[in-house]
Amino acid sequence: MIAIDQLRYVRLGTRDLGASVDFAHRILGLELVEQDSTQATFRSDFRDHTLVFTNDMKLAQTIGFEVRDVETLERAADALARNGYDITRGTPEEAARRKVKFLLSFADASGVTIDLVVRPLHSGWRYFPSRDAGITGLEAVALRSTSVAKGEALWTEVLGGKVSDWVGDAAFIRFDGAHHRLALHPSASGGVLAVEFAVESVDQLMQSSYFLQDQQVRIAHGPGRRPASGQMFLTFAGPDGVLFSYVAEGSPIVEATHRPRQFPRRAQSFCGWGSRSDIPEFNGDGGELAGART
Amino acid sequence: MIKLQKVCYVRLGTRDLEGATRFATNILGLEVSGWRRDARHFKSDQREHTLCYFDGDPKVQIAGFEVADKDDLDQAAVELERLGQHVHVGTREEADARVVREFIGFSDPTGNRIELAWRPAVSSTRYHGTRDAGITGFSHIGLCTTNAARDEAFWTRICNARVSDRIGEAALLRIDEVHHSIALFATDRPGIQHINHQVETGDDVMRSLFFLREHGVNITFGPGRHPSSSAKFLYFEGPDGMVFEYSSGVRSIADELLYRERQLRADPEGFCQWGAKPRIREFI
Repeated sequence: MIAIDQLRYVRLGTRDLGASVDFAHRILGLELVEQDSTQATFRSDFRDHTLVFTNDMKLAQTIGFEVRDVETLERAADALARNGYDITRGTPEEAARRKVKFLLSFADASGVTIDLVVRPLHSGWRYFPSRDAGITGLEAVALRSTSVAKGEALWTEVLGGKVSDWVGDAAFIRFDGAHHRLALHPSASGGVLAVEFAVESVDQLMQSSYFLQDQQVRIAHGPGRRPASGQMFLTFAGPDGVLFSYVAEGSPIVEATHRPRQFPRRAQSFCGWGSRSDIPEFNGDGGELAGART
Repeated sequence: MIKLQKVCYVRLGTRDLEGATRFATNILGLEVSGWRRDARHFKSDQREHTLCYFDGDPKVQIAGFEVADKDDLDQAAVELERLGQHVHVGTREEADARVVREFIGFSDPTGNRIELAWRPAVSSTRYHGTRDAGITGFSHIGLCTTNAARDEAFWTRICNARVSDRIGEAALLRIDEVHHSIALFATDRPGIQHINHQVETGDDVMRSLFFLREHGVNITFGPGRHPSSSAKFLYFEGPDGMVFEYSSGVRSIADELLYRERQLRADPEGFCQWGAKPRIREFI
C-alpha cells in the first residue's frame, strides 16, 4: 500500500488564461504567485501553490498528491505498473514546472492525470489573499468517474486511501483525518467536477454566497450541508466547466471507530438543508448511472 | 416603573382565519392549542399560546407582556393613568380569550396596542410543531414607531427596558438577559413590525429557507446574520403582509454592569454581516 501524504495541487487547462486568472484572483480570492504566458499559479495556504491554470490543454486536468520520499515513489511506480497503469516519470524540467523534486504521472480510468510528487515546494511566506474570502486551504477534489469501482480500487487498494462514506455509488475517500480529500462521482464522462477550498467559518461562506450573487457568478449548489461529512458548502461555476466550492465546518473522522456508511442516492444525501442542484451528480436523479460501475 | 417580565403573546386580526391558520401551522410550524369560532390560538413553546389570530381588522395588532404579580399590574395602571394614558381593564371574557388571569390594555405613544398580562397560562403538554421547523419559542417583536426617541424614552424610562444596541435610530431593547425582546422601527403607522421565533440551530434557519422557497413564500431578508445580536436570521412574509422571522443564536447579556450598547449603521451592513439586502420597508 502506497501512503498518500497530502492532496497537493490541481492543474486545470483553460482556453482563456486571462479570464481564468481573473476568476481565481478576483472571484475565488486566491493569491497569484506566478504568471507567464502559459500558466498561472495560485496559493491558498502554506503551500507554494495549490491551483494552476495552464493554456496547455494537453495537460488538461491533473491532480497532484504528495508521497513521502523517492522510495515510496518507486514502490508506487511498481504497484501501478502491476495494476496495469501506464506510468510516466517526469523529466527534471517537468518537475521544476510543478515546483517539485521528483514526480511520476499516470491517467486514471476516467482520463484524469494523477501526479505523485516528492518534495513539493513549501512557502515561507504567509498566505495573503486578494480578497478576504477566509480561505484556509485546498480541501478536496471531486472527480467525475466513468468507472467508480475501478477508481475506488485504485485509491483504496493500490494507493493508501480509505472510503469514508458512499452516497449511492459515489465514494468519499480520505487520506488523513479529514472526512475526504477525493470524491468519485459516477458520471457519463470523466474529469474534474469540483475543486474545494476550506474557509474559516459559516460567516465567510455566507458572505461569499452574497458576494458571488453580486458578481453574477452561477451558484450550482447550496449553500447547503452535506449529511455525510457534515460540511457546509457552496458550489459555483468556474472557468471551462469546472466547479469550485467553499466548504466549512465538517466532522473529522475518528479512525478508531469510523465505519463507512451507505447513504441513499438522492438529493437529500447531498444536501441536508434541501438545496437543489441542476448538476446531475448532485441531484440524485440519475439512479441508472450506477450502471457505469464496471 | 412598569416592570415587564417577558414578551408573552401577539394577537392579530385577520379576515381569513382559515388561511392564517394554514400559514401558522403548515408554513410557520406552530401547533394549534385552541380552536374557537372566531379565533385560533397557537403555541410555540411551553406556554399555552404565544400567537392568536382572530376574526377582525388586520390593522388590529396587539402585543402582550407578562408582569410578575398583581401589584405590578395595578401599579402599572396607576402609572399609565398618571401619564394620561387611557387604561382598559380586561373583562373576564377578554382575559379568557387571552388565556390569562387578568390584564390591562393601553396604547404606547405611537399608538401601538400593548397589554400587560398577569398569570398567562402555561401548558401541561410540550410544544410539538406541525412541521419540524426546530422552533424553540416565540422570542421578540418589532414595534412600529412614529418617533424613535420619544418611544425609546417610553420603553426605557416608564418601562424597565434597556437599550442593547441601535441600528441607526432603531433601538433594540431588552427586558431580560435576551439581547432584545422589543425593537423599535421608525415608520408612519402603529402596529407590529415583525414577529420572531427562535429556532434551535443555524441548520434550522437554512432548512426553512429551502422549505419556504419551495412553498412559494416571499422571503424578504436573508439568510443573514445580525451584527448586533449575532443571530442568524431569515425574514419572510405571512398573512396580511405581516413579517415573520426565524433566528438562532441570539446573544444573551449576562452582565448588566459591563454591557455597553453599540451604534450600528442604518444600512444593509448594519442589519446583516453576510451581505444580505433587506426588502422590508422599515429596514431600508
